[in-house]
Amino acid sequence: MAGIAVLLKQVPDTTARISVSEGRVDESAITSWVTSPYDEYALEVAIQHKEASGASITAITLGPPRADKVLKDAAALGVENLVRVWDDSWESLDSSQVQHALSTVLEGIDADWIYCGKQSADRNQGSTGPGVAERLGLACIVEISDADVSGDSPSFTRSSSTGSERLSPATPILLTFTKTETELRRPNVRGIMMAKKAQIEIVSADIGDAQVQVVSHNPPAEKPEGKKFEGADSVPEVVGLLRDEAKVI
Amino acid sequence: MDITIIAETRGGGLHPVTAQLVGAASSLGASPTVVCPGGAGGEEACGIAGVGKVLAVTGDCFATYDGGAWAEALDAVAGGDIVIGAATTSGRDICSRIAARRGVSIIQDVTALSPGLNVTHPIYSGKAMQDLTVSGNCVLTLRANTFPPAPSGGSAQLSTVQQSGDVRLAVAEAFARASERLDVADADIIISGGRGMGHPDNFSHLYEVADVIGAAVGASRAAVDTWEEISHSMQVGQTGKTVNPSLYIAVGISGAIQHLAGMRTSKYIVAINKDPEAPIFKVADYGIVSTWEEAIPVLKEELSKLA
Amino acid sequence: MAYEGVDFYDIESELSDEEKMVRDMARDWVSEEIVPNIEQACHDGVFPDEWRVALGDMGVLGMALDGYGCAGMSYVAYGLVCQELERGDSGVRSFASVQGSLAMYPIHDFGSEEQKQKYLPKMASGEWVGCFGLTEPDYGSNPGDMITKAVDEGDHYLLNGAKMWITNGTIADVAIVWAKLDGVIRGFIVEKDDPGFSAPEMTGKHSLKASVTSELVFQDCRIPKDRILPHVEGLKGPFSCLNNARYGICWGAVGAAQSCFHSAKEYALSRIQFGNPIAAFQLVQNKLAWMLREITKGQLLALNLGRKKDAGTWTAEQISLAKMNNVDMALEIARMARDIHGANGILDEYPIMRHMANLESVKTYEGTHDIHNLILGRHITGIQSFTREL
Repeated sequence: MAGIAVLLKQVPDTTARISVSEGRVDESAITSWVTSPYDEYALEVAIQHKEASGASITAITLGPPRADKVLKDAAALGVENLVRVWDDSWESLDSSQVQHALSTVLEGIDADWIYCGKQSADRNQGSTGPGVAERLGLACIVEISDADVSGDSPSFTRSSSTGSERLSPATPILLTFTKTETELRRPNVRGIMMAKKAQIEIVSADIGDAQVQVVSHNPPAEKPEGKKFEGADSVPEVVGLLRDEAKVI
Repeated sequence: MDITIIAETRGGGLHPVTAQLVGAASSLGASPTVVCPGGAGGEEACGIAGVGKVLAVTGDCFATYDGGAWAEALDAVAGGDIVIGAATTSGRDICSRIAARRGVSIIQDVTALSPGLNVTHPIYSGKAMQDLTVSGNCVLTLRANTFPPAPSGGSAQLSTVQQSGDVRLAVAEAFARASERLDVADADIIISGGRGMGHPDNFSHLYEVADVIGAAVGASRAAVDTWEEISHSMQVGQTGKTVNPSLYIAVGISGAIQHLAGMRTSKYIVAINKDPEAPIFKVADYGIVSTWEEAIPVLKEELSKLA
Repeated sequence: MAYEGVDFYDIESELSDEEKMVRDMARDWVSEEIVPNIEQACHDGVFPDEWRVALGDMGVLGMALDGYGCAGMSYVAYGLVCQELERGDSGVRSFASVQGSLAMYPIHDFGSEEQKQKYLPKMASGEWVGCFGLTEPDYGSNPGDMITKAVDEGDHYLLNGAKMWITNGTIADVAIVWAKLDGVIRGFIVEKDDPGFSAPEMTGKHSLKASVTSELVFQDCRIPKDRILPHVEGLKGPFSCLNNARYGICWGAVGAAQSCFHSAKEYALSRIQFGNPIAAFQLVQNKLAWMLREITKGQLLALNLGRKKDAGTWTAEQISLAKMNNVDMALEIARMARDIHGANGILDEYPIMRHMANLESVKTYEGTHDIHNLILGRHITGIQSFTREL
């Protein structure tokens, strides 16, 4: 039976301090790398799906050698097949190049269900899921918040304008996940011991030319000095500042 | 350059962000074409200044949301070297697919644009900003409430075109919105009450504000200790409940050390307290010296206007 | 800020991938399940059963033992788990230490094949809880003179006596009890339903409140003959177990110290007095620097000892030095941390007083501070000074 594929991305720990040096985020200063949080939710449902259906499951990551860790962590949770997509000549790839590489690799894997997080915690774009779906000619359900993969007809819940809606899609299909209520399973010692023996297949792929160049990275704009206002009449002004100056609403 | 805007719609009409997309396109020197999925908001779009023309795209596929089908239909009629949409759930989905169809790159959640084409967007959840330059065609989605909207007063021509796409998703079941309370640990916006709220029932006012902006409601240790009705799970500043939201609104909270330690790394802090000497004002980015009774209703009203 | 371990001398680079993964597994569980709930558990004086289940599911019980459902991981991995558990609470680490090092280990090393098959898999999964009965009301540092007695009555042993200060006793399915059979100390496996056995809980503790501490009472307790541990006699039996547990403690104490240091550092950066965070004052920096020194030394000691344990080149005296040193420094760090927290340090808002109270027990159990001192003294001089007879 056709299997399950999960796309995972390695990102800096989301509580890490990000510092910019010479116009680039200083990656060497990052001490802790993790699996992007939304990908973890996708992975949990994918593993539940595998356990319920008996289908094979493959975890795929596009990244340098340190990204082997996300695959090993997935192996500790029970994922048997592990693929890292990389070429040493690659530096920072744009969205087209990433999607080109991943869809090429996915074409070689017979997957009816492709799982991924809605967006990564480092670039926060959300393009990979739908972009890969388009390149593979698949439908895609984005920002899934709940799933039931226990039966013959897995269903997935997404938001709608009036609340939420449940879909039971035909396969093949690509699914992107936001945070779900499902508790993420922990690895246990047995899983970790088995991950020790895990084999990671490293493959390269054609990526095409870059169309986007990174000019620079910069720290976020300095916060202005704290301001104090008198009386409730100042609330509209503060709300305006939150919107236009702080840009948090 | 030729720019096509994918209109963002809401409730059969235009979402306010669409005018912001037009404004951004105009700042690049373009007179954009606005494409309206399902035809919604077509007339309205004609009234936005700077719009070149409006295409209302009608087709069966727009009855259900299927990003692939919508992208297929819209891509067929949308010309343009640059396609711009809003960085909303559907905007991101559709625009990603249009970019993939065209073999061009997409940059999402853009917060600054200039001819070149130079594009800026936040990365690492806003801990840094990335400046990019794009040669050739591309697709962009812009962050809402970041670009000034184009004013009204436009009089663009509206055309309707029939175009549909292949729908492959069907809704099995629809549910009404369940009222779900966000947990302080997960929320990007938190509004917290302290002993200054006076009575636990008064937290209902904070919940009303929270519902408007999709925030979680928290509480100081003082409030939790004083009132049984204020649950421990709401406490900010307890061991294990350190929060790190983009916006923290502290209402009737003095700002004593236990609370501060739990929220001091919030990106922006707003404090509402009637005591001008309250320590919370030392860490607040925007401090409002006022009773909560006076400030909160105004806050709720102002935030409702933005939604 | 989220918990960060202390790693000033890059111990991370000396750990294998599996060791780091196991440490991270324990660290995440402690952050998510223990830290938010430990104050309530202490307040209620209970060890929540969910924690037993979770520890079993994670596979950390008896994790350094080979076979019979045990993971067979390195002692360093076990130490890292102890470090994380005790960062949460010494009581949680005590549960795991007793289960793995004091109850499972003697069955594994001194038991018959039938005993290993019967008990170990269920103890590794956490289904059966074990405890270790050596200490008596009148015999603590001097276990050799214990009075709990076993008599061979043909088709069974009859046990009489009492043990005290037994972690897990009241919730245990299985007790490894050391008693004198014809004057020789032997190990016996007592099951909770054996006639004449009871395990009342000891109450009124100001320390290790989220841990079950019990008496084990044997009043003509009859146990079948196949319950004796066949392969060990004398104090060597219990002392081997204690050395294993002490090893885990030398890592655990580092965890408690790290928790106190982390809290003190965060507090000092947040607390403003005289217009500055107190972290800007020299006396506070002096204290934090001292803590960093001691934690770093303790970590290096523990790691080195762990590698020796894995290589089989350790000595008991080396374990005594590490246990003693690390618990002492952790207790000092807890006190110093309380001082940095000012009055706030006495609130359960912060883990400080809980760690401090716990570490008082940890300083005394598994060999008191003074006893370990004498073990080292004997090693250095060749002269034992435990008793007055030379």
